[in-house]
Parts: sequence; C-alpha cells; structure tokens
Amino acid sequence: MKFTRSAKFALAAAASAALAVSLLTPAQAATRSTIVIHDTNSLTSFNSSTPDTNLTINSKVGNLSGIGFYYINDKKNVVRNTTFGDFKIVKNNATDFRIQYTVNKGLVWSDGTPINAVDLLLTHVLSSNTYSKAAGLGDPDSDNVPAFNSNGYGGTYNDNIVGQPVLSADKMSVTLQFKQKIANWDLYGPGPAPVHTLVLLAEGKNGLQSVKDNEAARDRFLAAYNSKNTAVLKAMGKVWSEAYNITEVNDKTNPLLFVGNGGFLVDSAVTKSSVTLKVNPKYNSGPKLSGTIDTVIFKFISDGTAAAQALANGELDVYSGQPTADAVAALKKLSNVNLIGGINACYEHWDTRVGNAPGQPDYNGIFKGHGGKGADLRRAFLLSIPREEINEKLIKPINPNAPILGSTFIAPGFEGYERLVANNGSGYYVGSQEALNAKAARLLKKHYPSASPSNPVKVNVLVPGNNPRRAAEFALAKANALKVGFDLVGDVQASWSPKIQLSTYDAQFFAYCPSAVTQAGSNANFQIGGGNNRNGISLPNLDAILNKLQLPMDNRTYISTIIQAERIIHQEGLTSGVFLHPAVTAVNKNLKGIKPSPLSDDVVWNWWEWSY
Amino acid sequence: MLNYILRRIGVSIMILFGSSFLVYNLAAYASDPLAELRLSTDDGARQQIIALTRDLQLDVPPPIRYFLWLKGVLGLFVGNLNLGMTREASSVQEELAYAIPVTIRLVLVATITALLLGLALGIISALRQYSRFDYGMTFLAFLLYSLPIFWVAVLLKEFMAIQFNNFLSEPNIPIKWMFIFSIFTGIFWSSLFGGERKRFWSVFAGAFATNFVILWAIDLTNWYLNPGLGPILIAFLSIGIAFGVTAISTGLSNSTAKKAALTMAGLAVVWYYPAQWIFNNFGSYLTILIMISLIVLTGIGLSRVFSKIDHGPIARTAIITGLMSGILILVDRIMQSWAEYSATDAVNGRPVPTYGQRKDQLVTTDFWINNLDIIMHLILPTLALILISLAGWIRYSRGALLEVLNQDYIRTARAKGLNERVVITRHAFRNMMLPLSSLFVGEFVGLVGGAVITERVFGWQGMGTLGIKAINSYDLNLLMGVNLLLSILVISGNLIADLVYSALDPRIRLGK
Repeated sequence: MKFTRSAKFALAAAASAALAVSLLTPAQAATRSTIVIHDTNSLTSFNSSTPDTNLTINSKVGNLSGIGFYYINDKKNVVRNTTFGDFKIVKNNATDFRIQYTVNKGLVWSDGTPINAVDLLLTHVLSSNTYSKAAGLGDPDSDNVPAFNSNGYGGTYNDNIVGQPVLSADKMSVTLQFKQKIANWDLYGPGPAPVHTLVLLAEGKNGLQSVKDNEAARDRFLAAYNSKNTAVLKAMGKVWSEAYNITEVNDKTNPLLFVGNGGFLVDSAVTKSSVTLKVNPKYNSGPKLSGTIDTVIFKFISDGTAAAQALANGELDVYSGQPTADAVAALKKLSNVNLIGGINACYEHWDTRVGNAPGQPDYNGIFKGHGGKGADLRRAFLLSIPREEINEKLIKPINPNAPILGSTFIAPGFEGYERLVANNGSGYYVGSQEALNAKAARLLKKHYPSASPSNPVKVNVLVPGNNPRRAAEFALAKANALKVGFDLVGDVQASWSPKIQLSTYDAQFFAYCPSAVTQAGSNANFQIGGGNNRNGISLPNLDAILNKLQLPMDNRTYISTIIQAERIIHQEGLTSGVFLHPAVTAVNKNLKGIKPSPLSDDVVWNWWEWSY
Repeated sequence: MLNYILRRIGVSIMILFGSSFLVYNLAAYASDPLAELRLSTDDGARQQIIALTRDLQLDVPPPIRYFLWLKGVLGLFVGNLNLGMTREASSVQEELAYAIPVTIRLVLVATITALLLGLALGIISALRQYSRFDYGMTFLAFLLYSLPIFWVAVLLKEFMAIQFNNFLSEPNIPIKWMFIFSIFTGIFWSSLFGGERKRFWSVFAGAFATNFVILWAIDLTNWYLNPGLGPILIAFLSIGIAFGVTAISTGLSNSTAKKAALTMAGLAVVWYYPAQWIFNNFGSYLTILIMISLIVLTGIGLSRVFSKIDHGPIARTAIITGLMSGILILVDRIMQSWAEYSATDAVNGRPVPTYGQRKDQLVTTDFWINNLDIIMHLILPTLALILISLAGWIRYSRGALLEVLNQDYIRTARAKGLNERVVITRHAFRNMMLPLSSLFVGEFVGLVGGAVITERVFGWQGMGTLGIKAINSYDLNLLMGVNLLLSILVISGNLIADLVYSALDPRIRLGK
C-alpha cells in the first residue's frame, strides 16, 4: 500500500511536470471573457430611480441591462440609438411642442417578449405628479410616500408636460406634448421598461412566463394605466419601489426581476461584495457587441490603495477613482495596466457674497451690493486667489494637463469653449500672479487706502472641512491674498453645505458636480430665486440673458449667450472657476474599448465596445 | 455578590444612556445628511431631499429625535427592537446582523493563533531569560509593536500576493534565497534550543541542512504548483508530534503515555488512505466533526488499553497527538485542491488574492475548493492581524511568567524535588494565566468591534467597515447602531473580566 520515498518523489516530480506543462500551454493563451470593474460603493438596489437608491453603482448596473432612445458619450454628447428607435418633433410652436417617439419593430426583451411603445408609458407614471395624484397613487410633494417611490417627480418633465402621452394605434409610438420647447428636450423623453414583469410580479408570479402571457400582462397594465386603476397600479408601485431592493441574487431569486433589453443582465450578486452580469443572448436593442466578453462583474472596493493592489494582482480589470498624486504614481509603475488620466464633472470655484440669501439676515460685509465698491472688492478678492499656483501644486501632479477654468458654465473641450473664454471677460483674471496682485491691490486701495499686508482687510471665508486638498487650497489662497492686503479668516466646517447661505461669510469655495449636461444647468446659481443662489445675486439683466437658455438653441447662439452672461458675472466678480476635479482610470493592458466619461456612468456607457 | 452585579448593571445602563445621548447629538449636529443633495443641480435632488427628510425625521431637532430613536431601542423589551433605517433604506439591525459574523470569521482565527503563538514564544523567552532567543524575541516584539497595520497590509499584499503570484507563473527559487532563508531558520532553531557554543552550531547545522534540502526539493519538484504532504511526511511529522506532545503533557518518562501517543500517530498514518476516500466522497463539515469525535474516542480507548490507572493524562496526550496529526491530513487534503483551484477561470493562475471574503465568480460545489478559497482570502488579513497582536502577547506572557517564577511557592516546589516540567506547567503556568485572563476578555470584546483598518484594507464588510461607512455617509442611525453595540460589549466585557478574575483567584473579593 505504502509507496517508498523515492517512488513518492518520482511520482510527485512526474505529476508536477505534467501539471507544469498543462499550465503553461493553453490556459495562458486563452482570451479572457470576463471583465471585473471596480466600484467604491456597494450595490444597494437594482432600481436606481428611487430617492433612497439613487447611487451611481446602482445606475451603472441598470445602464448595462437596459438601453433606450439615446445614450451620452464620453464627450458628454447625446447620441441617438437608432437601433432601438427614433424620435422627432411633430409640432413646434410657442405653447405647444410635441415629440413622437417610435420603437423599431422586431426588438425583444430578454424573455422573448416583443418591445412596443406601451413599455414607454411607465416613465410618465414615474415622473408626473399630476398622474400620481389623479390615479390615487399619492402626492409626491406630501409627507406620504407615493405608490411609486420615484425620484423623477417634480422635475423638468413634470413642470412642462401637458396631459398624458398619446399611444399610436399600432402601439409602436407615443407622442408627448410639452407647454413649450424646453432646452435639452431630448433628455426628458421616455425610457423602455418591461412593464409586463411588474404586472406579473404584482400578481405574485414566480419565474418567466410565455410570450403570450407576457403580452396579456402588458395589456392589463395598459388598461389600468388608461383607466387609472388605483389598485392595480398601487400593487405595481409596491413591486417597483420595494422588490428590487435586494443585494443577494442566486438561483432562487425570481428571474422576472431581471428582464431587460441591455447587452448584459444580472445573473448573480453577493451582498456588499459583487454583482455578476451575463451576456443577454436575445439582445438586439442597441449597437452590436463587438467583443467576446460574456461576463461583467462589478466588485466593490472602498479603499483606493486596496483597489490599486487588486488591479496589480489581476483581480480587477478596471479601476477608477479620484486618487491622490501618490496613488497615481503607484499606478504608473504597474506593468500590466494602462493608465487613462482624466477629469470628472466636478468643478472647484470661489464665490463671493453680494447680499443675503432668502430668509437670512442682511449682509453688511465688505462685498455688499452690485456695482461700485462691492464689485471692485469682489474682483480684487478673486484676483488674489492664486489659481495658477493652486492648479500647479494640487492638481497637476495627478493630471498634468489640467487646465484652469475660464468658465463655470461649460468645461474645457466642449464645442466653442475657446471662443467663450476669449470673449467672456475671464481674461481679466489671467496673467502672472504679480500682475494680478498689483491689479487687485489697486482696486483694494481705491476703497481702503490704508490696506496693506501689515494692515489687511478681513474676509470671512467658509472652508469645507474633512478635505486635505481644500485645506491646502485655502492655505495657498490665504498666503497670496495677504500680499494684496486681504486677510482671509477661514472658518473650517465639516458640515459646510448648509452654511454657504449664511450672511457671516463673505466668500466660499467648493465644487458643483453636474451629473447631466443641460444648457440651463448653471441658471440656478445666478438667477433671482434660483435654488443655488445663496449669495444674494440680484441682477435682472443677467436673469434676462439666462432665461434665454431655457429654450433650445444651436451651439453658436448658446456660446454667444453664455458670453453675455459671463461678462456680467466676471465684471461683478461673482465667481471664479479654479480646476476640474481630477479622475483616473486604470485598465488591464489587454482590455480595449474603455473610454471614461466625466459623468456619473463613467466607464460603463459604451459596454458594447469592450473587448479583449 | 449578586448585589454587586446588579449595582454594576444599573450603573452600566446609566452610562449607556448618557453616552448614547451625547454621541447622538454630537453626530447629529456635526453632520448634514443632505449636504450633497443641497449642492446638486440634478432634477431628482428635490425629491430625494423630501424623501430623506421624511424617512429620517430630519425636521425634528436632534435632542428630541434621540428619544424617538431610544423608543425604538427600548422596543427590545417588548420584543420589537427597532434601530431605525440607514440612509439607503435598509434596516440597521440587518446591517449589524450581516457584519458581526463577518468580523468574527476574520478576527477569531487571528486572535487565537496570535494568543497561542505569543504565549508559547513569551514562555520560552522567559524560561531562557537574557539568552539570544530572549533578546531576539524582545527585538521582534518591539519591531512588531511599531508597525502600522495599513503598511504591513500593503507590504503583505505586495510580496505575499502580487509577487508570489508572479513567482508562481515562472516558479524558480534562486540559490541565493535558499541560503538566506536557511541561515535564518538555522539561527532561529539554534537560539530556541540554547546551550553551549558546540550545541548551538550543531543545531544550526542541522536546521540549515534540513531547510536547504527541503527548499531544494520543493524547487526541484515544483511542489508549490501541486502541493501536498503525502503519507511519508505525515508519518514523520506525526511521530515528532507524538514525542513533543508527550514531553510537555506528561514527560517522556511516562512510557505508557508515550506508547499511547505513538500508537495514535501510527493510527493516523494508517488512516491516511481511507481518509482520502472519505474526504473525496463525503467532504463536509459533518465528516470532519465525526472524525474529530473518532479521534477523541480512540484517545480515550487507548488510555484504557495501555493503562489501568491514571487515564486522564494519557488520554489527553493521545487526543492532542491525534488531533494534530488529523490536522496534517486535513491540510494535505486541502492542498490537493490547489492545482484545480488555481486553474479555474475565477482564479486564473493567481491563487493568492489581496481582497475580499470570497471569489464570487468561483462557481463550484466542491467542498474542498470552496474551503481553499475561504482560506486563501483569510491568509493575508489573518497574517497581518497576527503580526500586530503577537508582540503584545509575547511581552505580557514573558512578564507574567517571570513574575511568577520569582514567587516563593515556585522555590518550594523545586525544593521538594518536583521536576522542572511539573514546576513550569503545573505551578508557574497556571498562576501566570491569572493576570492574562482579564486581557483575554478585553481581546474577545475587541473581536466584535472589528479591526477597522484591516477590514477596510482587505475589503471585509464587517463591523469596522460599517462604522466607517456610517461616519462617511453621515448615517446617524447606522452610527448609533454600531456605537450602541460596541458600548454594550465594552461595558459588559469589563464586568465579565472582573467576575472571571475573582472566580479564578480566590484571594480577590468583589463588592466592597
């Protein structure tokens, strides 16, 4: 029974030799078919459209499992997905603006059910306060949770929609009517949703049903939708709001939850660890999958260093984050990885106060009032912020190509940016820091003749806490402003965002992170009554210009309008952009097609282009 | 005594109430859960603010909101505990219930291993006070003390995972490293045995040669690609274990115990082949449990066969020998799955992971591969935790034993002619455990608190990660859930430590 020592030795040697041979040949050469993508946060739900579950990781998974009329590319442009269908303006006048959305024939959900325009109607239920109230589903503005606990109520769609979408006779198109032609109207259209699965889930079904049953279920939804059948819709709303809030998915999970029309569908998930998506064999709603990838895994790693090491160890294929200079240097050293530097949509900027925010006591600080002394001092203050130095010392080590912002409306790289910056008055704030300091000192001396580095004028600044980069940014600003004659008195607040509006602060600096590109996205910051106008800006002539941005226009007019607006903003010294927050994406060298986008869907927007 | 306990519990409840009120209000005023949303230019932000304010009752001032929260906590006494919801609308109880077992899985093995290893090294260090070994251990302890764990973790990942995996793709140990590693091993063992210069060099030579030959054989056979111990090695090791265990447990002069232990080792080797078949066909935790019971029963049986009196020590010796040999067989079986595990698509030839609790994409029903996967994910964090806490145990146990060895009763024991083994194991060891016992309790409470940094760096979703997440996302209910649990554990841990101490040491009386 027992082997002798040498026999055992010989056996072991032979076995390991055989194993070594088998390991060396095919396994290494085979093309991988799995892509593992890192995310900082853990998935909390497979429905990212409720107020509680509106996290980027949730929407990334949704992005892979569904596709509609358009997508947004890495240049932040809206690209139509004509494989799915198309949309066109059918009526266009001042008070009546109609768009018709048509779904192409022959497209199917992953359970084989043909897609039609009835699948587009759920968007209205999820976005219209009027419909929710009329159908007895609850008032989204009240203290009670509406039946569909949707994030979409109360937005632009709700404010502009007239009546209900009208379904065509062949059920392949819907027509939406808006009060007026709204800017970026193409972003507010309906998206497809497999409504039959909601009906079946609400009826307690478990497991995929036949196509015939699915179409019958969809007809039941249509009937309930048209007749505003509260009971049926409420049951669907409960499913929509609650059933998707799971984090563990396995063979026992109801497959009805994961019917979609995207290229990859949820296959399994492990709580707080990962989500696995497998290729959808029936996918025909969008661009053809170009690669051999059949499995996409999202792996949740909160620690940046840990993620970078996991990448080095081949446990990850795609890593993206907002790293420090050290982390970037470490990533650069990895031989199995390509580093794609980049930016995200957040822009850092310094704001100055003009007056009090609504509901706040009167502001009587040095920057008070439009024009005259207030404007001079605000400009002097913004001139004394060493933007070049901040960018050089804090951002360039991470992203060597980081530009200084010349506009807070659109980012560098956007069409027309050069013309904008050349004409919007931002040139006033550009030059050597000595020249800018001298310019600032002249303005300051005009109103405070005795101001000097030894006798500075105090400026109260709100400093966002818990952020080393902002602490460094403030230190640089403080040092330079003192040369001009400003003494920046920083108030470091961990919970700073509700304090921006306080009249005690003359200036603040922080970042806005727009998650979509809309023409009128910056209006709320400057208009009278705007949701983000916390500095008491009150300029009717600026409002008139900004109001034009509510309506659609071509790029040339758009840029010209911003030029007018920003000339006033820069003349008044209201805000000054500093830098775009840097981002970094590192990918497995063999993986092709990853193009990070500055918006929140960052790497996943072009999943059909990925390949090894 | 009962009075004392009741009074302590009463005070504890007051402390809990006060501390939770303070923490709740401090945290509520210091953070703003709506911060990000207020700055958002998104269409959905308005609805999110409405929903969060409604769900988390943000319109109620914190001192009053605290009592709403407290009402949910006190629901415990009517069987309806409610710690509230997190911002992501999951229940805090569920989050805690998920995190606690994860933390325990991570920290339990590390704590026990560090404890046993630290005790052993500390005791040897104290017995060889001011020897090379003692100085070596003192140096090691202070070195480990001063290492920050996040740095240790990064180094471990770099060398034990990334570089080792690279090494496995082209395995070849350079001769230089064989020498360096063998010299190191030689110094360790010769210091451990101590003695005159001649003995030092002979032990050194032996250890050096053995280590060098083993490394050479490993390299030649590419053992690490398809590892295993095999029956021959297990036989040698088992016999060694039998002698070692007997020496400590009863002394080698007890020939009956020695015979029982050696028989046990022999049985373990004979059992090797049937065990393979059973493991392959019935791999499960139940099988392992049954085998453990069999070993215990055999040990007891052997003590009856070999001796008519004094069964206890003999059975103990045989059982410990059997269990240790059994562990060898188990390790051998797990090693046999290595090649198959390594070749799976999920592992892709890089078996040492740097991150996570499991390879989620590893789909197999094989008991051994699944366990190997768990073990591989445990290795690095466990090693990091052991390295960090080992130092403390070495110092504590060395100090405690030295203290005891200077006592009069040890001199008495020696004077009445007891041999050194009995003096150490029976008189010194038991008494040195007294001061350490209160440390154990503290350590085990710390278990549930979680190793915050280790969990984060290695991606374990335990209590530490949960606490960090609560703080970072301004999640008050979650933070309070973690805080409450830890406060209860710390307070009750202290009480238990006092009680245990008084139970072990009759000289100590509580309550006055």
